[in-house]
Amino acid sequence: MNLFALGLPLALGLAALGSGVGLGRAIGGAMEAMGRQPEAIPRIQTAMIIGAAFIEALTIYVFVSLFVFQAKF
Amino acid sequence: MISPHLRSWVRHPAFSIVALIFGLALLFGTPILAQHEDTPAPPHATSVSDQEAVPAHGEGGHEEGTVHPPTLVSIAAGLIEGHAVHESKDAVHPVARFILRYQAPIFSLLIIIILSTLCILGARSMKMIPGPLQNLVEWALESLDNFIGGVLGPEGRRFVPFLGTLFLYIYFQNVFGLIPLMFTPTSMIESTASLAICVFLYVQWTAVRMNGVVGYLRHLAGDPQDLTGWLMSPLLFPLHVIGELARPLSLSLRLFGNMMGEETLIAVFIGLGITVLSFTHLPIGVPLQVPFMFLALLTTLIQALVFTLLSTIYFALVLPHSHHEEEAH
Repeated sequence: MNLFALGLPLALGLAALGSGVGLGRAIGGAMEAMGRQPEAIPRIQTAMIIGAAFIEALTIYVFVSLFVFQAKF
Repeated sequence: MISPHLRSWVRHPAFSIVALIFGLALLFGTPILAQHEDTPAPPHATSVSDQEAVPAHGEGGHEEGTVHPPTLVSIAAGLIEGHAVHESKDAVHPVARFILRYQAPIFSLLIIIILSTLCILGARSMKMIPGPLQNLVEWALESLDNFIGGVLGPEGRRFVPFLGTLFLYIYFQNVFGLIPLMFTPTSMIESTASLAICVFLYVQWTAVRMNGVVGYLRHLAGDPQDLTGWLMSPLLFPLHVIGELARPLSLSLRLFGNMMGEETLIAVFIGLGITVLSFTHLPIGVPLQVPFMFLALLTTLIQALVFTLLSTIYFALVLPHSHHEEEAH
């Protein structure tokens, strides 16, 4: 048992927290925009998916690092 | 009594395919993993570096690294070895080592054959009033053409075949692992990295061809217009180069991380369902993974879409007409 076992899941949780807040804000904004302008839904959706992918990637990096360091704990 | 609405839904071909997948998953997926769980993995005799990590792990049976549901290849390797093996470094027999190491390319090849066969059969005898297969292929290609062509504009239409093929290939790779005994090649970093490198090279080549070598380097230096721009360019140049190099990295890691996470999730829940019923000593389990397989159906589509969309935007950024649009990330 070493600090990796504590630190990596904690880091993943923190990254997921940040991503969750970011995704919530982004998708909330997109939903509001869709409600206001239903005719622009396809374009808003495309932009939203790209943004969500970038936000989500941050958590994925931590997730990958968890697998990289998995042999150490 | 089934309501007519539901009946029409049940008769839909997509539903029967999904039902078939889950039915097979329930039939085959759980008992085979149960056998795998029953026979504990042998201690790692070959790899010395792993030995020091094993005692701290406590639970002896589980292997280090990623967890995958059993596949045709891992079962074949297990038959060759005589006991269950999951990773190529555990296998002793050269054939078992080889097929475990090259599991992703083997299944990629299978997917390529399936996709090519579908497309060739769909386009073999094209009629004015299309049959079901031609209809399906036409629908897929037309919607991809509309979607990607809409982002790229009329000048970028010639990249649609590359990007559309990318989407179909990645989607099939992603969704293939949900079929029992099959494997998701995109849950290995090699497959996603190779796709991302292809996209990177094609984008750079297109950028050079569209803007010329001088224009390309000028763009990397941040399009300097005046003295301030030229003074800033030594600072901007490495920044842009790193930005370009970070794209394939983030593309491949995103797809790989999502797909491996999903596979691991499903495998862990299959194991959990077997643990619940382990007191019966029968090769059965509770299919706890089914809700996550529905979730996986969604993620597979979205991740394939995201990969294609980001590649499309990288192409759109190097095309001349969209030079001064906002930069992606």
